[in-house]
Amino acid sequence: MIRLIAKKDFLLNLLSVRFIIGFVLCLVIIPFTVTVSVDDYLARVRIYEIEQKKADDGMKKARVWSAVRPVIVTRPEPLSIFSAGITNNAGNSVKIAFDACPLFPSGHISTRDNPLLNAFFSIDFSKVIAILISLIALVFAYDSITREREDGTMKLSLTGQVSRISFLSGKLAGLLLTLLPILLFCYLLACLIIVVNPGIALSAADWGGIALLFFSSAIYMLVFILLGMFISGIVKSSSSSIIVSLLCWIWFLFLTPNISTYLSQSIVKTPLYDNVQSVMHDYDKAFEEDYFAVWRRIRNEMGIKNLNFYNNRDGEDGLREITGGTRTAPLFLLRLYPEIIPLTLSNADKKWALQRNYLGELEKQQRLQQRIALLSPSELFRQITEAICSTGAGNFLKYMEQIRYYREGVIRYFTDNKLFASSLYFTPQPLEEYPAEEEIASLANEEERQARIAKNSWMYPCLDTSNVPVYRQQQPFSLPGALDGAFTRLAALFGLVVLLLAAMIASFMKYDVR
Amino acid sequence: MLQTIELTKRYEDGLLALDALSLEIRPGEIFFLLGANGAGKTTTINLLLNFIEPTSGKALINGIDVMEQPLETKKHVAFVSENVMLYGNFTARQNLDFFARLGGKTHLAKSDYYNVMRRVGLQEEAFERKLKTFSKGMRQKVGLAIAIIKDASNIVMDEPTTGLDPKSAAELMQILLRLRDAGKAILMCTHDLFRAKTVADRVGIMKEGRLVMLRTREEFLQDDLERIYLNYMQEAVL
Repeated sequence: MIRLIAKKDFLLNLLSVRFIIGFVLCLVIIPFTVTVSVDDYLARVRIYEIEQKKADDGMKKARVWSAVRPVIVTRPEPLSIFSAGITNNAGNSVKIAFDACPLFPSGHISTRDNPLLNAFFSIDFSKVIAILISLIALVFAYDSITREREDGTMKLSLTGQVSRISFLSGKLAGLLLTLLPILLFCYLLACLIIVVNPGIALSAADWGGIALLFFSSAIYMLVFILLGMFISGIVKSSSSSIIVSLLCWIWFLFLTPNISTYLSQSIVKTPLYDNVQSVMHDYDKAFEEDYFAVWRRIRNEMGIKNLNFYNNRDGEDGLREITGGTRTAPLFLLRLYPEIIPLTLSNADKKWALQRNYLGELEKQQRLQQRIALLSPSELFRQITEAICSTGAGNFLKYMEQIRYYREGVIRYFTDNKLFASSLYFTPQPLEEYPAEEEIASLANEEERQARIAKNSWMYPCLDTSNVPVYRQQQPFSLPGALDGAFTRLAALFGLVVLLLAAMIASFMKYDVR
Repeated sequence: MLQTIELTKRYEDGLLALDALSLEIRPGEIFFLLGANGAGKTTTINLLLNFIEPTSGKALINGIDVMEQPLETKKHVAFVSENVMLYGNFTARQNLDFFARLGGKTHLAKSDYYNVMRRVGLQEEAFERKLKTFSKGMRQKVGLAIAIIKDASNIVMDEPTTGLDPKSAAELMQILLRLRDAGKAILMCTHDLFRAKTVADRVGIMKEGRLVMLRTREEFLQDDLERIYLNYMQEAVL
């Protein structure tokens, strides 16, 4: 009997105008959305390749260790085509420096080439699915009970050899039979657009991720089918049912996310990052004073009256590259850096302690937002797709944590190999090539003096940085990893299915068919 | 056989819709249940078909309690409702096929459906037409065909002549007579006094949930049924 009712509902749905409208909507919106996402992804890959090359060149061309600044460029995940998450709003590169811990990435943020067009938001595949499939599910389910009652067919059906539970199961199966192909069609269309694009290579794990996305979308769709059926089972008429269903849809898709963000920001107050930066600036000033105190002390101890760097390149992040001149400058720096580096690292730690507190507050706010948003199946679905595609806030925070851990590894490498105490930290010129002050003074004319002291960094070979620890790209996408990240929320969505199913059965068992 | 024993229904709002109704409709009998709106006729049907639960008493179909074995009792009863919309996007034959299968008739051929539709007077050209193009009378005939094809021993009808043109109503009565002759027990709730006089074997008048009058065909043909009915209705209005 369940099969009979399911088949009947499937056929009736196929013949309905709403099926054609739903199908056409998918046919128009999905290719458009996926094409835009694919273009965006390919642009991000191009930017990644350019920046990665720049970072590699930076490492290869470094002639002093103080210039070795590994830059981690985030490679876009192919699955971000399906769910961009926060990747479009976060930078794509992190520079490892000794004077600061990385808090957030910097670099390219996805915006349109024309900034004036940024007011028009673009949505990704998962958001389209969240909006479209929930709406289609409700439009098909809102009158599944009321229409049968209004047309008198429910009484006729229940006079047959069918129990209420079978009747309900048949209706549910009929809706699933109708809507699952629409959902499958959306996914097939999206995959087709991706597959025909030569610039995108999907791994087996990516395909597994897409399968997991489809599974999650099916459960999400089931939630809205059950919601529509539940509403249809508790109201008297189809017109009331569609109104209540649409109100629920607006609440879940548009109001809850905004309300959860507003509430989380109201409940957990975070300090302004400007204030954090102001304190950090004070720390830097104190560090600068300590730095110059050490500088003066060493200069006095070495009896240097005039400290001159012949060719000097320096930067705020601790870069110093000198060549030429007399031996006084490198000897001075050779004493300076072993004392300054611990101060630099300690200052970075102090600043990180502040930033960590700030980040902790941000995380608290984000967790609260996510918890409040659990009231909406659409938000749950968003979190699931972001977890599967590794583009959510959780993945991002984990990624940044790994980068900070990597920075410690780089520092350890420098310390273990005594690179901070090496002259190669600040000069590519061997110390013995630097002439003593006396030697220069003894030279008869300026031309000879210049010939002795004039050196440039390009005259020396680049460093061999092949042993510097390399950051392993944020754990490559794996199906178990994705499943693990999404499991709790998937379970919550499934729990919602069970809850709605129970509520729907309970209400329909008491449903007044008169 | 349709039977109610002290069947009572009090709704949640306190309204006593049916008050200890005891009734028996035997095989080969057409029973007309008359009464004003709210008299309890439809409640009786709803209880017999297990659409609602009784407050007390029993409803039996072929001696089986509808509350205890609902699916079993549904094998023995067919239903024709007042406003049969059915599935508009299905043809008459498809509607018939669906409800026949729901009623347990899974091995019927197309010709069986056509025969039943001919029997209820539906035009041949309408057999494979979508129901949304049908008039109310035509839909009512399909509803009746659904009840007939189930071949149940009992038929329950809730005001099936409402909105039918006189010709269609007369045809419906002819079909009822044939079904009675085939041994079916038929319960028909209606306001249609004229039809009751024409085909009913017994007539019951309900008022405020109670069966206030019961007459056999011989008895109500002798009495002035219209006058009796109107008297009860007037009292109901007063």
